[in-house]
Amino acid sequence: MFKSFRLSMTWVHTWFGLVLGFVLMAAFFFGALSVFDREIDRWAVPQSRFEPQPMPSFDRMLRPVFERMQPSADSIERMRERVNGPLPERFDTPIRWGAYTTHRDPVLGLFAGYEVPNAKEPETSIWANRTIDPRTGAALPDDRLKIGSRFFYPLHYSLTLHWMNLGYWIVGLASLVMLVALISGVVMHRKIFREFFTFRPWRNIQRGTLDLHNLTGVVALPFHFFFAFTGLVIFAGIYFPVGHTQLEPLHELHEKHDAENTGLPHDRAGVPAPLASVDAMVAEAQRRWATRGMAGEVGFLAVQHVGDANGYVSVYRAGTDRIALVGEGIHFKASTGELLREDPPRTAVDGINTFLTGLHLQHFRHWLLRWLYVLGGLAGCVCIATGFIFFVEKRKRQHAQAGGQGARAVDALAATTVTGMLIATLGILIANRLLPESLPAGWPGRGDVERYVFWGVWLLAMAHAFWRSAPVAAGRIAPAWREQCWAIAGLAPAAVLLNWATTGDHLFKTLAEPYWPVAGLDLSLLVGGLLAAVAARRLRRKEQNDDVRLPAAGIVGEAEVRHG
Amino acid sequence: MVDLLLLAATAACVCGMTWLALAMEPHWKQVRGGVPPARTVRALRVLGASSLFASLLFCLAADHASMASLVWVMLLAGAALAVAFTLSWRPRLLAPLIAWA
Repeated sequence: MFKSFRLSMTWVHTWFGLVLGFVLMAAFFFGALSVFDREIDRWAVPQSRFEPQPMPSFDRMLRPVFERMQPSADSIERMRERVNGPLPERFDTPIRWGAYTTHRDPVLGLFAGYEVPNAKEPETSIWANRTIDPRTGAALPDDRLKIGSRFFYPLHYSLTLHWMNLGYWIVGLASLVMLVALISGVVMHRKIFREFFTFRPWRNIQRGTLDLHNLTGVVALPFHFFFAFTGLVIFAGIYFPVGHTQLEPLHELHEKHDAENTGLPHDRAGVPAPLASVDAMVAEAQRRWATRGMAGEVGFLAVQHVGDANGYVSVYRAGTDRIALVGEGIHFKASTGELLREDPPRTAVDGINTFLTGLHLQHFRHWLLRWLYVLGGLAGCVCIATGFIFFVEKRKRQHAQAGGQGARAVDALAATTVTGMLIATLGILIANRLLPESLPAGWPGRGDVERYVFWGVWLLAMAHAFWRSAPVAAGRIAPAWREQCWAIAGLAPAAVLLNWATTGDHLFKTLAEPYWPVAGLDLSLLVGGLLAAVAARRLRRKEQNDDVRLPAAGIVGEAEVRHG
Repeated sequence: MVDLLLLAATAACVCGMTWLALAMEPHWKQVRGGVPPARTVRALRVLGASSLFASLLFCLAADHASMASLVWVMLLAGAALAVAFTLSWRPRLLAPLIAWA
């Protein structure tokens, strides 16, 4: 089919990269934002703007909260079709209580799963979630969207497309293609070391774009490779304790495996039993960690089979001081506090797995590495975006002469995924600050409205990109890019100003305190807006160059398009 | 203390990448003009490689080994980007690093 191996690699790189590059762009960008997901949560939920807190007392604070928790009306409604007969008034048999926090969380996330009587399928459970202020135990409003950890983060691995888990499959396929694109890219390149530091923007657009594509691809090659690869490893179903809170669809399978391997009871005994002091169990777990030379805070605390003789309490350590995601779980009999099991030291294979998953999920405390991850993610975005632009630049003249619309369509899609995605991101932040505290009756939840704004703005940006990309079909640059850059340059500082106006947290205050979660996001927004303005001005100049260079060709091209 | 070590690791990484880049003729030309003598090229390569190695040692002194290896790999990428962009934007900014040659 192809004359040489290299040409076949070029074909694979170009076409697979093009098709799944749009997905990869979202995975890389929202992945980069997820590095600071908790900080974005602080910005989006002003009630939670205080310092991170350790796990509070279970006996005094968490237990009463858990005992009052019930599934939301929404999830009960969704459960209705999965049971025979009516649903109970209250769900009285908790399968599991869990509390999860990290060293960057001021608020504490709680979840509870309940047995569903008369369910059509066995092991059906219904879940309740609550976020509390661990200093007082007071609940935060349920409809506040944690934009970082509950929207950008899942968007990055599932596109929030839950139907038949389609999103997971698409992103998984895209990461596989990323690996293929990296390998084929290396094969195509040929001058990896000779052009390692090469970026020549003063040459033509094609050359500069390809240089930037190669540069961002090659220098961050280990990052790109390991993140695409570990992303696949994580969804291959490696067990780790936060699976219950963050990768919910996988957790039931994990539980069964776990019960088989550990001897911790998988089912209820059916005999009621009281709950001993969990605080004492936590203290004992911390003492045992300290004797292993790993003194630390609790990250994840769970009670399984609540109120049953088979109940047990699992205490996991927060992994802030190393890459590998190891919970060092210690399990106690819930009714007596007797030690049931300590997770054994990892085998070599487990060690590699936990290192790989930990490398991607980054529970560690290391601000420099976090920023370097953001840099790596953004380098990936630049690499993908320049890939699109190079594709268009290489073809648009030929397409213009042949009267084709291919380059135009790709250019419009590229603008949608690059600048359009940024506008949508700013859109959800602005909606978050503009929407009233409580919405009128009959409206969807506040968080849902924020999500709709995000997708709506993105669709608008897409429509704009297709509308304003006609000149590409004439071999010119699309005004869509410049106009969307101006939109970013306007919206980014607007988000900062709205944050100030609605919360009083302006940059002088957040920098003076300092409160980095909010100051950091505000500063990043301002820098992003500034860069967008610079880009818009440069694009203007390019368009003017096109006007000088191709006045006649442009008209001919457009006429041809109209007739074609 | 940890912050200082990481700062040192970053600085060593940027210097190392600069020296390795300037051991290449086109980049030397951008900064200094002309062709670098063979002896200087060898010196730049040795200096660059040892500086990157020093950066790794600083990382290892600052953090747990698993964390340090990641920090170092990511620093290499960041430093390479910084050097490449400086070379295309204001190459002369790198001149002080080869003032001795």
